[in-house]
Amino acid sequence: MIKDMLIYVWNNIIHNKTRSLLTILSIMIGIMAVFTLMSFGQGLTSYVNKISEDMGTDNLVIQPTGFGPPGSTGTHLSSDDLDFVKRRKDVSDATGYVIRTGEIKKDLKDKPKFVFVMGWSTKPDEIKFATNAFGSFGVAKGRIHRSGDKRKAVLGYNYQFDKKVLDEALDVGDKIYINEVKFEVIGFYEKIGNPQDDSNIYIPLDDANELFDSADTFDMIYLRTQPGVEPDVLKDRLKESLRRFKDQKKGQEDFTVTTLAEQIEVFNNIFKVLNGILVLIAGISVLVAAVNIANTMYTSVLERTKEIGIMKAIGAVNSYILSIFVLESAILGVLGGIFGVLSGYIIASILGNIIGYYGFSFLYPVFPKWLTVSCIIFAGIVGTLSGLFPSRQASGLNPVDALRYE
Amino acid sequence: MLADLFRLSLRSLYRRKLRSWLTLVGIIIGITSVVGLIGLGHGLEAAITGIFGNLGTDKITVSASGGYGPPGSGAVKPITKGDLEKIKRINGVKVAAGRLIEPGKLEFNERVSFVYVASIPKDNDERELLYDTFDIVAEDGRLLKPGESKRAVIGSAIGERGDFFGKDIVPGKKVKIQDTVVEVVGVLKEQGNPLFDSIVMLNEDDVREIFDLDPDEYDIFAVQVVHEKDIASVAEDIEKLMRKQRDVGVGEEDFSVSTPQDTMSKINTTLTAVQWFVYVIAGISILVGGIGIMNTMFMSVTERIRDIGIMKAIGATNSTIFMLFFIESGLLGSIGGFLGAIFGASLAIFGAAQMRAFIGGDLDIRADISLGLFFGSVAGSFLVGSFFGVLPAIRASGLNPVDALRQKK
Repeated sequence: MIKDMLIYVWNNIIHNKTRSLLTILSIMIGIMAVFTLMSFGQGLTSYVNKISEDMGTDNLVIQPTGFGPPGSTGTHLSSDDLDFVKRRKDVSDATGYVIRTGEIKKDLKDKPKFVFVMGWSTKPDEIKFATNAFGSFGVAKGRIHRSGDKRKAVLGYNYQFDKKVLDEALDVGDKIYINEVKFEVIGFYEKIGNPQDDSNIYIPLDDANELFDSADTFDMIYLRTQPGVEPDVLKDRLKESLRRFKDQKKGQEDFTVTTLAEQIEVFNNIFKVLNGILVLIAGISVLVAAVNIANTMYTSVLERTKEIGIMKAIGAVNSYILSIFVLESAILGVLGGIFGVLSGYIIASILGNIIGYYGFSFLYPVFPKWLTVSCIIFAGIVGTLSGLFPSRQASGLNPVDALRYE
Repeated sequence: MLADLFRLSLRSLYRRKLRSWLTLVGIIIGITSVVGLIGLGHGLEAAITGIFGNLGTDKITVSASGGYGPPGSGAVKPITKGDLEKIKRINGVKVAAGRLIEPGKLEFNERVSFVYVASIPKDNDERELLYDTFDIVAEDGRLLKPGESKRAVIGSAIGERGDFFGKDIVPGKKVKIQDTVVEVVGVLKEQGNPLFDSIVMLNEDDVREIFDLDPDEYDIFAVQVVHEKDIASVAEDIEKLMRKQRDVGVGEEDFSVSTPQDTMSKINTTLTAVQWFVYVIAGISILVGGIGIMNTMFMSVTERIRDIGIMKAIGATNSTIFMLFFIESGLLGSIGGFLGAIFGASLAIFGAAQMRAFIGGDLDIRADISLGLFFGSVAGSFLVGSFFGVLPAIRASGLNPVDALRQKK
């Protein structure tokens, strides 16, 4: 019975090749657009998740309040603050960073470039945590800092190439001027995936303090909880006790404490909203495709009015007729979905490569199974729903009238 | 002849009413979304550039450049009073004013907020330039008088932040800036730009004292030119002067001289890129609508295959048959485009009203539906309809009359 139905439906689809192909093409294009955009959304989510896994979600960040990029907010954290945080029993590691804009040149006579320079601790007890927290990406070449390094810089990935940051590529052992002070390049980080982070420069904290006259101030304190301490709990405790330590009234704190998980959450939410809007706009084309399917099915019903009359005359019940036409439109939808996912896969892969070529390799598509499956199911549902009205019309036909139809 | 073809096409569309409507709905949805998004996008762009347009088209700004962030954030060589004096003497410069802009702490009612503190110049001409450039008017209270000390004027957004500070800051109240007590004498008129509306203004000497700044340094110069048309050449002269002052060569500038035109074009480039991305994605639905037209036309050809045979048998040429179907698809496209443009325009106007209500007057978003957009989309839709009608029309015109007549229904 079901087999018969399938054969009949399939013959119908084959019979009107042009019409079926065009209908499938229209739903395919819509699904392709949705699939492509969602695969990029997935890619970014998995990138963010990977970062948070690398850095550990048991980490907290203390930053001075205010707006603008680091170092411009007018308020700072002090080394007393850092010591206070370090002494706490529920904190396992803590370290402070100085993050400023620096003027860099390969040669003193060159035109300067401005990039973020990060000073991190090279004290024996902090260096591992300090470099891990921010440099969790591997080293592409050379080495990172060891304690006692002076006037030595680790550079972001992009410095290894001509014209990415500086006009000429740098190599381990080369010199670079930061605020007109000479540093030796000792290593390069692996690619982080966006042009700004890949242009960062990392130097020992003492050097940064000299360069930026920032002794005793930090633009950021990074800490890890003791095992077993919930980051959210520590966050509230820390906010309260640091406020008392700094002798500030409630509501007057000049710092904020956030967990890494929270920061990632905020970023993720913004991105999800933006991606959602784009997917919705792309979804309009699926809506248009649904109208096309309905159109095809109405014509299909009209053409086969006589057949429907015959089927009914020899005993086909309404639900049987309904199923035949719903099945036909569902198959059109599913086929469109399958081809849409396939072409979306190809387009997203190509786009991902192009974007990666321009340095934004953090934007790459990811194709989880559920996305593929749900896109195809969605196309099937769209097909079914848009076939519903034409099919009801078909099943409701009066056999006598239908047989008489010319 | 042509009139006959039109009549025939219309009758054919009318006969299959449901199918014609569904085809139209498809293309209408596509055109509506694109016209709506373009109308909103242009409106949003106009609102955003409007904020920067406030800067006036005869003003040049000069600042020491750091790659990122507001003035003062980078380790850069500051611009000085000496530079300002020399700029004032450049031909074509009407007034030049130096300003300090510092991030600072504002305390009121035992609560702390972080704001930008900007200076008001001592010189009368410079003050006027500033007030004029940024359209600074006191909504409540008054503006600062020259020489007044420990008095401040605050932006409207700070004054209204009663929910944050516990009570509104009104003229007469005392606030602390970086722990120095100052009296608020005025609240500024709302500008609609969140950055300007949350600024604190003090006389220059106060700013230097409170933030312990070098008496010789400035963060930014605002320069007004005598004739607007000379703005580019004056900007060039200033660049030349600054290069000499700071002893840097061409291409090594560690300062920036920007005209409003520069700023606008930078913003516009970014906005345009984003807009096009959205339009292209929305445009996919027009493509799908076009495929719908093609499908309908193929169905129409198949249905009327006998009609075509008869027409050919009594002498219709291939091109007449082609035109018959081509006109039908063109009609579908242009009717769909016309209705879509109307719906799209309404959607943009409605959407803009919703956004205005939601954002609350900070951005004056008006849907921007130009005649060009309206008729362009109708024409575009006609082209889409014609384009997707070509293949079916060719198939119809190429039919062999004998075969067509023999075709069973």
